[in-house]
Amino acid sequence: MKWIKRYGPYLVLYGVAFLWIIPILWMADTAFKPTRDIFSIPPKWIPSHFTTEHVERLFAEWPFARWLLNSLVVASFVTLGSLVVSVPAAFSFSRLRWRGRDAVFMFLLVFMLLPWQVNVIPLFFMMTKFRFLNTYQGVALPMIAMPIGVFLLRQFFINIPRDLEDAARIDGCSSLGVLLRVILPLSKPVLAAFGVYIFNYAWNEFFWSMICLRKPQMVTLPVGLKILQGAFEIDYGLILAGAFMASLPSLMVFLLLRRQIIRGFTLAGSGVKG
Amino acid sequence: MGLKGRGAIPAPFSKMRKRIGRFFYRHPGVEGFLFALPYMALWAVFLAWPVVYGIYISLFDWDPLRGSRFVGLANYLELFREPRFWNAVTNTFKFAGMAIPLILGLGLVFALMVWGWGRKRRGIVVVQASLFFPYLLTVSIVAIVWKWLLERDVGLFQHFLSSVLPSAPVFLTEPAWALPAIAIATAWWLAGYRMLVFQAGLEEIPVELFESAEIDGALPYHKLVHLILPLLKPSLLFALVLTTISAFRTFGQVLIMTEGGPGWASEVLALYLYRVGFDYFDIGKAAASGVVLLFLILVITLLGVRILGLKSELQ
Amino acid sequence: MRKVLMVLFILSVGLGLQTLAAKPIKLTFNTLFHEADAKAMEKIIQMFNEEYKGNIEVELIQGRWAQYYAELRLSVLAGTPPQIGICHTNKLVEMADYLTPLNASPVGDLIEMAGVDPANYVDAAWAAGEIEGRHYLIPLDTHGWGLWYNKDIFAEVGLDPENPPRTLAEFIDACERIKAAGYYAFHPAEDALPRKLRRAWYVFFWQMGGQLFDEAYTHATFNNPKGLLALQFLVDIFNDFGWNEPGSNGYNQFAAGKLGMLVAGNWFYGTAVKSGVNWGYAPMPNFFGTPYTWGNSHQLVIPLQPKGTPKEVYLAAMEVIKFISEHSYIWTMYGGHITAYKPAAENPELLASEYWTRSGKWLNEMAQKGLVHYPINHPKGSELEHAIQAQIELAVNGVISPQEALAKAEEECNKILQGG
Repeated sequence: MKWIKRYGPYLVLYGVAFLWIIPILWMADTAFKPTRDIFSIPPKWIPSHFTTEHVERLFAEWPFARWLLNSLVVASFVTLGSLVVSVPAAFSFSRLRWRGRDAVFMFLLVFMLLPWQVNVIPLFFMMTKFRFLNTYQGVALPMIAMPIGVFLLRQFFINIPRDLEDAARIDGCSSLGVLLRVILPLSKPVLAAFGVYIFNYAWNEFFWSMICLRKPQMVTLPVGLKILQGAFEIDYGLILAGAFMASLPSLMVFLLLRRQIIRGFTLAGSGVKG
Repeated sequence: MGLKGRGAIPAPFSKMRKRIGRFFYRHPGVEGFLFALPYMALWAVFLAWPVVYGIYISLFDWDPLRGSRFVGLANYLELFREPRFWNAVTNTFKFAGMAIPLILGLGLVFALMVWGWGRKRRGIVVVQASLFFPYLLTVSIVAIVWKWLLERDVGLFQHFLSSVLPSAPVFLTEPAWALPAIAIATAWWLAGYRMLVFQAGLEEIPVELFESAEIDGALPYHKLVHLILPLLKPSLLFALVLTTISAFRTFGQVLIMTEGGPGWASEVLALYLYRVGFDYFDIGKAAASGVVLLFLILVITLLGVRILGLKSELQ
Repeated sequence: MRKVLMVLFILSVGLGLQTLAAKPIKLTFNTLFHEADAKAMEKIIQMFNEEYKGNIEVELIQGRWAQYYAELRLSVLAGTPPQIGICHTNKLVEMADYLTPLNASPVGDLIEMAGVDPANYVDAAWAAGEIEGRHYLIPLDTHGWGLWYNKDIFAEVGLDPENPPRTLAEFIDACERIKAAGYYAFHPAEDALPRKLRRAWYVFFWQMGGQLFDEAYTHATFNNPKGLLALQFLVDIFNDFGWNEPGSNGYNQFAAGKLGMLVAGNWFYGTAVKSGVNWGYAPMPNFFGTPYTWGNSHQLVIPLQPKGTPKEVYLAAMEVIKFISEHSYIWTMYGGHITAYKPAAENPELLASEYWTRSGKWLNEMAQKGLVHYPINHPKGSELEHAIQAQIELAVNGVISPQEALAKAEEECNKILQGG
């Protein structure tokens, strides 16, 4: 009995975690199986031999590396852009007083509920006029405009004690000074958390990227994968090799920065506490 | 002027700064507004304007080549008369009804597990990481992998299920099981983040409360319902809002896993909207369904917040 | 001061000369191709850009067919269309307003000016490009479904691997034998996606001489004994006959060596070769009267250009189109679709290629004989087809009876056509 009490939780925890990971393991397994074994009925884990043919074809026939680069550029662009505009805005909504501030903020929030499909055609025409179609800025700008960043940051800034700010103002600090010298230094973990969250959001964004980016050289990873899948619904080796290679960057970054990332998302979640 | 703070400020600039400072002191509203301006400008151009324009389009039989005709609410009426539209709405609700409890439930269970059992146990981060990792994947990967797992002939899960339970449904090809399958895949994808949110909430609960509950002889069940859940309200609100929005907007997984099939069994509103716009090129009608979708999300979210008594948390 | 003036003078002369010098005409060619056929088109355009270097430069953007037509329309509306595009034959009526009528363009009769001869193209394909005297399309290829079969399975069950079934009787016999040996006998619809099931039904229906809609597209004409028999046959394949199971993916089954016969398009070639299966290819058997098969045709178009587009641009686009036609044997060899340009179809390299000898020539035969049946051509074509395939899928999966399915499909189609 004591044995169960001692080891039971371990079993459940590790058991559930392992089951949860099976889809990923299966994806990796399939990506390196020869086509014949992929289609074997019943499915089997150990193929006759492992092969890199799908991965090789992926890089030879598709600009996969380019897709990776595009995702990196877009996600970085969005993250930096978001930080630059959302931080002052969040500061304004949380700590500066002005007429209609809260009403405007509530109104902004509504747009968090927005599905892309509602925007897409007008955005398409707008981007055509600006000549931003098929460009990094075309994909990135609407994402930067999403209120989720302002929302998260505001929640954090609200919680920073007033006294620090008051002290700074007494010393003659302007609002800009308060932002730069008081709020920002205190918010480093929060900004990091926010950065991680936004980066992941932009990295995985699918719908607007699909509409805005048409040239195969400009396409980001999620759209590239859809192209792979849509092109030939039958080439599972290639498709899953693509899926595997596409999850590799996330996996590697995750393994390296696991603690920080988890902390970041946790903060991003808990930040809403009143 | 004596040196103040970091480095000397040249004379003309310091005068200007003083003037600016005085101006903002007398007109605090302006300063606040200016700080928010860069963001608001982006928002206005890339979010607000397209929505307004979309609503505008929804009132037309939109055909720039031959001339758009103003039709008022005709697009909406056409939508409401169409069984396929109502099917899409129903499917969206069905999906949300399955996915939201699943995602939140799993997230909560995992959070309780990891937090409750993991505190003094080694390697708990590995467990946490495994449960969380799927969230970092993009929708295309999740959908492709799950479509592959549920493949009729060569899918790992489908095969396993069918061999253990001979009468098991073939998930992606049976109308009644297509949406649940997509809901399960979605839960696998998103539960990990909710787990973190709840875990953070759990860790905020002061330990003393638990100790006094122990002293009072509270059973685990009581602890859960009367202690933990009420104190998790902020996290629950956050997770609920986010999950509701996600569920109603669901598009990518459905497109890749079933294309809305079999038949129309898994066609959700977002997919229907996309098809009307991009397959049938009926832009006015697509805009109308977009407005309807937005409206639905708004109403449901507000309702959910109110019903669960979480309104106070919003402030 | 003088030095400065000198420099300015030289600069301005240089600039002036630059603008006088002919700049290459830049064109954009947007296609809906992907995978093998996209690579084939890349080859052709590469050759073009080399040959026409300095005169015409083509930028090739290959897309995803799912949204292609919407993108094309949007780009025309936005005033930035590509100069060359692709159009399926059955999309012409939908897209006509967004295309340049080639024989009545803003700068004249382009077909005549470019020296394009209709006689060089497969008749059916060329004829499909005209609406009320205005001609919009230049045929590129025909593509469609054929019968892929597993030679090893044939040999195993006592069938002649070099003589696949041609008649209904032979076909049923083959299926029963394969089924008895424990394999899946037959899959009529690739991977059984809804639109594929619909096409499979089309094949059986058309072979019986059935017509989906009346000439004027006022109502559906498929809810009748022929339509019912065709659908019953399709449903039985997956159910009563036991030749396959609902929801199964024929591609996978065939590649795994578990399927005797598969109906699939020419694009299955790559997978068939890679799967290691000993496969053969045959024209669609004659099940019910005329051995029609489902198919379509890719056509080259010039989308509607903004007002004031100069003549040179139109003519340059026609040059590209002509070049593609002349080199469309490359299109067939590497892309798999059968060229609709008669001279290219006689290219010796093509005729000797493995693709042609193993499968291409059968498809070509069907095309030449006029047995490749195109799908419906109507502005609401997509909606109609979606309505039909939803019901077909439900019938095949056993959720509703064929009678119900056809009745429902007829009802919905009529509503769509009559503006319900």
